[in-house]
Amino acid sequence: MQPGPIEHRIEGHLLKVEKPGRYVGGEYNSVVKDWARADVKVALAFPDIYDLGMSNLGIMNLYHQVNQRDCMLAERVFSPWLDMEAVMRENDIPLYSLESKRPIRDFDLLGISLPYEQLYTNAINLLDLAGLPILSRERDESYPLVIAGGHACFNPEPMADFIDAFVIGEGEEIIVEIAETLGRLRGLPRNEQLRQIARIQGMYVPRFYDVAYHADGTVRSVTPNQPGIPARVLKRIVLTLPKPFTKFIVPNIDTVHNRAPIEIMRGCTRGCRFCHAGMVTRPVRERPVAEIMAAIDEIVRYTGFEEISLLSLSSSDYVWVEELAEEVNRVYKEAGLSLSLPSLRIESASADLLEKIGGTRRSGFTFAPEAAAEKMRDLINKYVSDDQVMQTARDVYSRGWRTIKFYFMIGHPDETLDDVQAIIDLCGRTLREGTKILGKKATLNVGVSTFIPKPHTPFQWVPQDTRESVERKQALLKRQMRRGGMHLRWNTYDDSEFEGWLSRGDRRLSRVIRRAWQLGCKFDAWQDQHKHARWLQAFDESGIDPNFYNFRERDLDEVFPWDHIDVGLRKKFLQEDYLMSIRRETRVDCRDKCFACGILPKFAKERATTEDLAWECPPVTPINERGRKRTVEIPLSAIG
Amino acid sequence: MTHLSPIAQRLRITFGKAGPLRYTSNLDMAKIWERVLRRADLPLLYTRGFNTRPRISLAMPLPLGISSECEILDISLRERLDFCEASLRERLLAVSPQGLSIVAITEVDPRSSSMQSRISSAEYRIRFHDALERASLQRKIDELLCQETIIVERRRRRKRSVMDVRPLILSLEIGEQADLLAHLSVGDRGNLRPDHLLELLDLDGAHNSIHRSRLHMLAE
Repeated sequence: MQPGPIEHRIEGHLLKVEKPGRYVGGEYNSVVKDWARADVKVALAFPDIYDLGMSNLGIMNLYHQVNQRDCMLAERVFSPWLDMEAVMRENDIPLYSLESKRPIRDFDLLGISLPYEQLYTNAINLLDLAGLPILSRERDESYPLVIAGGHACFNPEPMADFIDAFVIGEGEEIIVEIAETLGRLRGLPRNEQLRQIARIQGMYVPRFYDVAYHADGTVRSVTPNQPGIPARVLKRIVLTLPKPFTKFIVPNIDTVHNRAPIEIMRGCTRGCRFCHAGMVTRPVRERPVAEIMAAIDEIVRYTGFEEISLLSLSSSDYVWVEELAEEVNRVYKEAGLSLSLPSLRIESASADLLEKIGGTRRSGFTFAPEAAAEKMRDLINKYVSDDQVMQTARDVYSRGWRTIKFYFMIGHPDETLDDVQAIIDLCGRTLREGTKILGKKATLNVGVSTFIPKPHTPFQWVPQDTRESVERKQALLKRQMRRGGMHLRWNTYDDSEFEGWLSRGDRRLSRVIRRAWQLGCKFDAWQDQHKHARWLQAFDESGIDPNFYNFRERDLDEVFPWDHIDVGLRKKFLQEDYLMSIRRETRVDCRDKCFACGILPKFAKERATTEDLAWECPPVTPINERGRKRTVEIPLSAIG
Repeated sequence: MTHLSPIAQRLRITFGKAGPLRYTSNLDMAKIWERVLRRADLPLLYTRGFNTRPRISLAMPLPLGISSECEILDISLRERLDFCEASLRERLLAVSPQGLSIVAITEVDPRSSSMQSRISSAEYRIRFHDALERASLQRKIDELLCQETIIVERRRRRKRSVMDVRPLILSLEIGEQADLLAHLSVGDRGNLRPDHLLELLDLDGAHNSIHRSRLHMLAE
């Protein structure tokens, strides 16, 4: 194959940059299709370096969905690290795809993955490196259509100026629909293309919505400014999870998670009030054990990976988790394959599960009690008793594992220093149990993150904890947890404050993000790259008060900038749950009792077509069949 | 697994690296091979312990950016494999990433001493961007070779040392296409990398590609 011009132009520079393998492609299982034969060309971008982006399951899923169609192709692109970016800018080398080394400008569609807010400046930087105007309104149909998706896009507003259309929800099916639609609309004006794209359920095109504000800066209304544009955009879901992707690209250089993931379950029934993922990924859908076992087998054969991670938000809640552990143990015990099952509940059964699955020697045991004071546990609706924590720790240490990792969160509403002291005490007691069993070999790693209120959660109304308060709590932790065998990790307040602004931001933040990028902000997810002072300067120059986003107690009936994005939850449900948290009332796992979050009525038609076991939500019987088949009780409020 | 599995067979794979794989380091190359061998479903012998790994070893690290046709990999198998070289090569190639080629597969004595200690020198072919004039290249070579000692300063883990690299240059010749054919010492007894040689010749940056064409071993 004759190498393209970009390949020639980078060649002489590659040895000057760190890890040049990031920029050359050629990996096993990467798909290089005949450019001329593909009708629609899709570039899939993860706006951080190769080492991180290659571990992203979402990108791989979409890559596979597009590439399995004859008339389409999908290629990958990642952010070049600073050294390579300098080389590219100096030598006028445009951002290119790893497969065919074509400029991104030559593609029809650029899909950017935005799983977290810290990637926003990198996304803009990608557009700029690709030679695209960064503002959506300055790109006509001669440029690739720029779409974005991922968890951060459930509040798309801060990125509204830059992205042509957002995918709200799950991308596996919609990506193909978008590509097909775009193929039919070639040559039409961009606005017309977008009008058609906006008709696809789950697509949000910010330019077709006008936002009006109250004098105090809060949103008055968000209304469509075009006929045929939905007032609210309902998220897209797949009814049952498609067969797991197994032909993972095997990187030629080491990456952050150099292993294959299998999603065993999507969604979570626990209802932790701080958890964005748990709210936006409903309903819970599980994969049958046989399907997971077949996927493990395929991954070993197709990729040769020695490590496979079984992913979900709460693995202990996966209905067939014990059966799965048994099967894995039976088939792969002797095979030199390491499996891991993260996100386990704090209970004795978890130690059994991990022992069977056997992949823990490397990663150790990780548990997330989140809070240590009873009051806080009720408030966040994640209940674990101290006894459970201690018993689990004893189980783990006594089986010879030396390291346990705990995750806690500080900064929840109404938290006092006493509640933080409870974390210190619980960790101290846990480590003492370990020392009794293992002596000085026992270690406890404690990660304490700072809570950031997220949109579409019961805590979307609460003010974020202040710098002064968080730093006082962190100082207490640092003072008291400096002891042998215990290692503490925490986030800097700058990072938390920054994430807060973008999480509950509105459209006006586009200006700030753009200014911050112009001031040199990028790689904001990298603690040593995030330039907080420049962000504050960007706010200042844009005439926007950053504290408006983080520290305001929002009115119960405030219109949020993301209210027209429908994740399937009723706002009433979130309000009730928020009020319950103030009264310290908890809700049980919604497998045991449906709380009418809103998913079922929103997707009633779809639920009626799925098998009972396919969702954790109760089955719904189509109205014309009621009375003939068994009916299931759903609270009236859910139907109404 | 309660007993130490003996090596049933040791295979030596001579392979080439080209294209994108030139930017894969030696450590990452070992990982690539592990996975190729697992995809090819060879009966690999694994080390014992928590972090179990297949018992494979690569002979002589190839500096980043250099292509090769003479890299050596030894693998230990837990079962004997009665193989035909051509079909085993096909089996491996079918599951190999772009840029990996297989030159030869032979069976070696499992008790033979490590290759790493036996490799003494390597031949490289260095191509230049714009064909250098033969005469000027020859002049540079002559100037370098007529020196009795070439003292360079080396830094290794903060320690500075000086050494004479002249004995590490075994021969320098000009090839048919005005490329430089260099035969240099490698390994523990003295190592001179081709990019360092280019610096000594005042030609760094002038080269287009470097290719390792042959490894020389001491007799066992």
